[in-house]
Amino acid sequence: MSAHLGPTPLRVVGQRVPKVDGVDKATGVAQYTVDVRRPRMLYARLLRSPHAHARIRHMDVSRAQALRGVRAILTYRDVPPVVHAGQPQPRAGSLARDQRILEDRVRFVGDGVAAVAADHPDILEEALALIQVDYEVLPAVFDPFEAMQPAAPSLHGTDRNLVIPPFIVRHGDVEQGFAEADYIFEGRYETSRPMPAYMEPDACVCEFDPSGRLTVWISTQAPFMVRGSLSEVLGIPMSKIRVICEHMGGGFGAKQDLYQYPYLCVLLAQRTGRPVKMEYTREETFVAGRSRHPVVIELRQGVTRDGRLTARQARFVANSGAYASHGPGITRVGTNALASLYKCPHVYIEGLCVYTNAPIAGAFRGYGAPQAYFALESQMDEIAAQLGLDPIELRMRNMFQPGDRGPAGTPFREVMLPACLQRGAELIGWAEKRQRPADPGPIKRGVGVACQLHSATSYPAVKEAAGAVVSINEDGTVQLLIGAADLGTGAKTVMAQIAAETLGVGLDAIRVVSGDTDVTPYDIGAYASRTTFIAGGAVQRAAEDAKRQLLDLAAQELHAEPADLHVTDGVVASRSDPGRRIAVKDLVASPGGRSARTIVGRGTFAPRNDYSFAAQFAEVAVDTETGQVEVLQMVAVHDVGRVINPTTAEGQVEGALHQGIGYALMEDLVVDGVSGKALNANFADYKMLTALDMPKIYVELLESVDDLGPFGAKGLAEDGVCPTAAAIANAIYHATGARVRQLPIAPDRLLELIP
Amino acid sequence: MHRFDYLEPATLSEAVALLAQHGARARVLAGGTDLLTALKEGWERPDWVLSIGRVADLRYIRYDSRDGLRIGALATVREVETSPLVRKHYPVLAEAAGTLASVQIRNLATLAGNVCRASPSGDTLPALLVLDAEARLVGPSGERRVPLARFFVGPGRTVMEPTELLAELVLPPPRPGTGAHYIKHSLRRAMDLAVVGVAALVALDGETCVDARIALGAVAPTPIRALAAEEQLVGRPITPDAAEAAADLAQAAARPITDVRGTAPYRRRMVHVLTRRCILRAAELAQSQGRLP
Ligand SMILES: Cc1cc2nc3c(=O)[nH]c(=O)nc-3n(C[C@H](O)[C@H](O)[C@H](O)COP(=O)(O)OP(=O)(O)OC[C@H]3O[C@@H](n4cnc5c(N)ncnc54)[C@H](O)[C@@H]3O)c2cc1C
Repeated sequence: MSAHLGPTPLRVVGQRVPKVDGVDKATGVAQYTVDVRRPRMLYARLLRSPHAHARIRHMDVSRAQALRGVRAILTYRDVPPVVHAGQPQPRAGSLARDQRILEDRVRFVGDGVAAVAADHPDILEEALALIQVDYEVLPAVFDPFEAMQPAAPSLHGTDRNLVIPPFIVRHGDVEQGFAEADYIFEGRYETSRPMPAYMEPDACVCEFDPSGRLTVWISTQAPFMVRGSLSEVLGIPMSKIRVICEHMGGGFGAKQDLYQYPYLCVLLAQRTGRPVKMEYTREETFVAGRSRHPVVIELRQGVTRDGRLTARQARFVANSGAYASHGPGITRVGTNALASLYKCPHVYIEGLCVYTNAPIAGAFRGYGAPQAYFALESQMDEIAAQLGLDPIELRMRNMFQPGDRGPAGTPFREVMLPACLQRGAELIGWAEKRQRPADPGPIKRGVGVACQLHSATSYPAVKEAAGAVVSINEDGTVQLLIGAADLGTGAKTVMAQIAAETLGVGLDAIRVVSGDTDVTPYDIGAYASRTTFIAGGAVQRAAEDAKRQLLDLAAQELHAEPADLHVTDGVVASRSDPGRRIAVKDLVASPGGRSARTIVGRGTFAPRNDYSFAAQFAEVAVDTETGQVEVLQMVAVHDVGRVINPTTAEGQVEGALHQGIGYALMEDLVVDGVSGKALNANFADYKMLTALDMPKIYVELLESVDDLGPFGAKGLAEDGVCPTAAAIANAIYHATGARVRQLPIAPDRLLELIP
Repeated sequence: MHRFDYLEPATLSEAVALLAQHGARARVLAGGTDLLTALKEGWERPDWVLSIGRVADLRYIRYDSRDGLRIGALATVREVETSPLVRKHYPVLAEAAGTLASVQIRNLATLAGNVCRASPSGDTLPALLVLDAEARLVGPSGERRVPLARFFVGPGRTVMEPTELLAELVLPPPRPGTGAHYIKHSLRRAMDLAVVGVAALVALDGETCVDARIALGAVAPTPIRALAAEEQLVGRPITPDAAEAAADLAQAAARPITDVRGTAPYRRRMVHVLTRRCILRAAELAQSQGRLP
């Protein structure tokens, strides 16, 4: 068979190319929302409630209004009384309409009660202090179990303070399953409240032009959602709203639903006729941002003597905080995750999402799965220990097969967990380290493992789609327009690689344009683990469309069959007669003097979903006298399908491990159980791992063959954080015999558990 | 942020004169790693900020075997950490300095600032206490020397008058046969405040402990000496049992509080564990020192 008939080897996909916007970022040229400055711009800030639950009896803004430099003040009396979901409807059907722009009621410490715009940011604090609010303090509740009691204060008038009706996953008959079990294991797992702690605080700048067109620069993962929600809530047609987010300093999920501040910033711009900028302080990103949901999981599993799961029953109780945000979605994903990972014939899982007067929990990397897998994988380890089985062997005995249904209801095309487990065990030296005799002295080492599987998209809750447009310039270079945002992950680079590979041009020929709703096609937003998978699929299709047009033109010019032509390095050539060739630029803009041809490729991609898999191994050293845990190394083996860019892909796992170890050991926003105040809303007291705290990490990417996503790519962004905490907890058990069921694994609590 | 005027005297006497004039309405600025946070957060609202950064001859670390070590008010924590003199004669001080914040902060922060800030968790304070350090203060009515054991009066409070400056820290010459060690107990390896800090110094004559100092950080309103624990050690060999007994007494001396960084019972328990470890390590160092020619 001649070489050219086989699959063309990939030239750009799979390469460690540097980020296409790397130079701009490194030189400080890249403009972030916080960098935006407009002529005559005002600065705005919110006054936030000191009470966890209160009704506003009366507000007096006259003294603040009189302060020199104050231009406008908005209270609940000045804003449209629209009830909305913080996202355009219908988006997912899973978001609850429970918020107003401002209201005469506050539901958590930090809830906004007024917004002030002034000439200079320095005046804002003084102005806010001059606003007098007469609060009628209401009883507050912070614990989801207490909130479900009949006597509990009601936040939104729902049954038992539930955000949505209980979400139930059921198959088989758990009673029968438990009857078939030789042993039953039960545990209550409690997770913490970590914050995404992105580098760029939430910010937006809103400006109306004289004809009433609104431009919003905002740090968001979902420019089209911002446009949709502003349009819906404020009654401005979409054609008059332009949302721009070219670069952003992280989001991790939290920057995809809106609460208060962007609506207020628009209204202040409208009221003053001037551009208005609102930028959170770091403290506000803690108190008014979105945390991962604290969840209590009550998990009960039946298992036979030889280690086969017979039944799984669980309750997943998520603390949504004061508003729904993504509570409905994470409850669904977390409950589905709890029902999955290993084969079990009889399953009954109930997911509850409960309002409390705590700060708002929302979307944050993993979206319910880190909590679910912490519980599930901790209990799997416990079962293995009790049955005297190797934890890997127990997992192998309960492994799914291709064709079995995954957590999103679609079947697995492949199950890569065995391969991940096997490779990780080799890398960490599992067999030898599990046999190692206990360390003498107070410092004990141990190794542990945990797995995860995750869906790249939000299917079936959200029927997702992404769009891309490829337009060929007169000189043969390419404009690639994508609706997807780049949170800093390298999405633009990966999109450029996919386009370059598909079109047969060099990477430097591609200019990626993103994050501008006036320019790019629609994309629902950069969330889940979807962008490479879905937006990449749209890019591939758009590039194929453009290429088809090019080949058709070339076929005419070269008197060849389109099927006989290929594009390499910007030149179209015949396979059978390589002498017949024409440069792409000459096809588009003919040297003969006719005007340039318009070649625009369009692509949309709306797949269901695909599953990616991972096994993570932790080695720890525990000081049994102080309860301190040192993670010595992490081995993370992930199956992600085709790796488009190994550097950015590994970066995703490395970053996720940083967050995952932090989740296990220290990251937790502590909310006072009486006042509802966040006690560590700053980087001095909210602890994240520093570079010195990071252990050695080994990331290995397995590339299963799968043709659904672009070049076979699957999702990766969230996966890395899902199993880490359980892997560490299991390693701690191996080291010390202490079974941890609560995050973070604080030294004082661990010390109590060490036998 | 509260408005203030900024003063930049060039000599110590000028600085003292300005402080005498503005007194309680002024704050001294050295490295600024504490003061700037306090200004930005509004915890401190001085009308005058008096920088000593340009005062000549305050940035030094000097040693001689008769008078000991003198550290000028502008010597940074990083300079103390890396000074060959400190590392040779007072290694525990270099060790403690190396646990403070991060290299970037240590490059700005002064040792004197850490002392004047008087935080119960100040990382260099237990080490300075076991080394019998004294503060040389200068004020409008001249100068005085105050042992650090009598310097701290509460969180952020010292015996210094608002019109006084700390000009230098003075450490007596080390006696032969001593070993000392500092343990900082914190969640992270950098950029973290001590949940508990313990410094121990042990002087041996052969096997017998002839002198001991134990100081505890972050378990009382000020860094404290655990005097009963020290006495327990003197006059006998440092065995694990002796260290354990001293640790019991140190634990009894601790009066910690519960806050986001740690609970009181945990802190008390850590005082015990860390004091025991610290004493044994100090004794080990003292022994190896004794073996040196
Ligand atoms: C991010 C961060 C992390 C930190 N981590 C630690 C840590 O791990 N451990 C720790 O112990 N500390 C820590 N600190 C606190 C701080 O860095 C130290 O206390 C430092 O030694 C203070 O020195 P400075 O020169 O910066 O003092 P400044 O901020 O300049 O002054 C501190 C106080 O002392 C007074 N003062 C300073 N010098 C004199 C003088 N010569 N005479 C009279 N008064 C004076 C000032 O008026 C002020 O009240 C941290 C600070 C930051 C910002």
